[in-house]
Amino acid sequence: MRRVVVTGLGAVSPFGLGVKAYWSGIAAGVCAIRPVTLIETDGFKCRIAAEVPDGVLGSRRRSRADRLALTAAQEALDDAGLTSAERRDAALIVGAVGGGMLEAEAWHWGQRERPLANGPGHISALRSVLPFSHAETLGSHLRLEGPRETLVTACSSGAASLAVAADLIASGAADVALAGGADALTRICFMGFNALKLLDPAPCRPFDRERRGMSIGEGAAFLVLESAEYARARGARGYAELAGAAMTTDAYHVTAPHPDGDGMARAMRAALDQASVAPAEVGYVNAHGTATPQNDRIEATALRAVFGEGRVLVSSTKSMIGHTMAAAGSLEAIATVLALVHGVVPPTAHHEETDPAVPFDCVPRVAREAPLTHAMSNSFGFGGQNVTLLFRGRG
Amino acid sequence: MEPKEVLDELKSLLVSRLKFDPRRVADLSMETPLPKGVDGAIGLDSLDFIELSIAVEERFAVPMDESEDLAAHFASLDTLCRFIAERAPAA
Repeated sequence: MRRVVVTGLGAVSPFGLGVKAYWSGIAAGVCAIRPVTLIETDGFKCRIAAEVPDGVLGSRRRSRADRLALTAAQEALDDAGLTSAERRDAALIVGAVGGGMLEAEAWHWGQRERPLANGPGHISALRSVLPFSHAETLGSHLRLEGPRETLVTACSSGAASLAVAADLIASGAADVALAGGADALTRICFMGFNALKLLDPAPCRPFDRERRGMSIGEGAAFLVLESAEYARARGARGYAELAGAAMTTDAYHVTAPHPDGDGMARAMRAALDQASVAPAEVGYVNAHGTATPQNDRIEATALRAVFGEGRVLVSSTKSMIGHTMAAAGSLEAIATVLALVHGVVPPTAHHEETDPAVPFDCVPRVAREAPLTHAMSNSFGFGGQNVTLLFRGRG
Repeated sequence: MEPKEVLDELKSLLVSRLKFDPRRVADLSMETPLPKGVDGAIGLDSLDFIELSIAVEERFAVPMDESEDLAAHFASLDTLCRFIAERAPAA
């Protein structure tokens, strides 16, 4: 199996355009969760989310999610410095959930002549409503002509895209891949989580004793992955190695994780095994950390089963950018990679008092300097779709 | 922008975004009809028009309002060039 390295990063986050804005925001522990403007929230208890500020590329008649994806993907390819010839054979693996639903909702509601926060909607929006539209848009614009897949594994889609891209590279099916996820805020997502009573009316507080649920976000992040030999041959400087990428399924419940966290623990162990890394070598886990009572308790159980109590640092980026759905796994992968690069662990914002069921240092509110050799990123989707990515620093 | 400059840009969009054969595009005149089904047309279908209109928005910063009937502006390269030239912000 060939080694897989990360050579390009691109992000559009609630902190704005670019990886730099994203890292500056999370490393400073800034919360980007604010009053919702994109959709109507009258009558809801929760009226906040982490929206991407204006400035993304592309026509406003493209879906917002397509535009987020295009902007982040372009940055990642530019960052990797791939020539157009090198791009041509690249695999494109996209994690997606909502597709162009925000615009489809606007069009549908417009048909019923309801006033909407983001305008009346365009019928052309229906062209790109399905989740695979991002891959279609990216592939044709960026001229990526290698294998293409869209992965829809709920909240772990962005991480799953990286795991599948890593497999393609490790097996020799591709030398280079652009992989990541994108999602815009949608009514169905916001209202669905509202109906599940999972939204905190205030910015979410992962792993806190008083946590009351999640905050929703939006964004996009893409990473360029390539085989270590290919990167070396073209003189590319890698950020980190994607040393392990594992997927498991709880096969237990449509929304609830398995109460023992068995599927989560199996994903973490499988990623460690694949990389031949002992738990003690991992200094930081970027948790799924949604701040729902259930997820955080069960994730802590799984973390304890794998790492034992105490030593490993655990934080949740969702405390600052909310849960960005299909983008979450890839935005958090970037946070994990940059934690390794900078030797800085981003904090868990709004974290005051750690839940006694969480026997870890959750890096409350302020980033921590920590020399790291390995760092892990967890993403757990509804239906128990668990993905763990394990990154190794360049040393 | 002059209609002639707009024309050259439009022709390049037909190749890069709608994947038309460059030789076929080079032969187009201002009067060549665009929509499929019209005699002598280059033959754009409904998806082509969406792609072209988005490409025009992104290239010329001319916003399209879909609640308006835009069909007359997309009848030929001539009508489309005029539509863009009138609305494009000064460079």
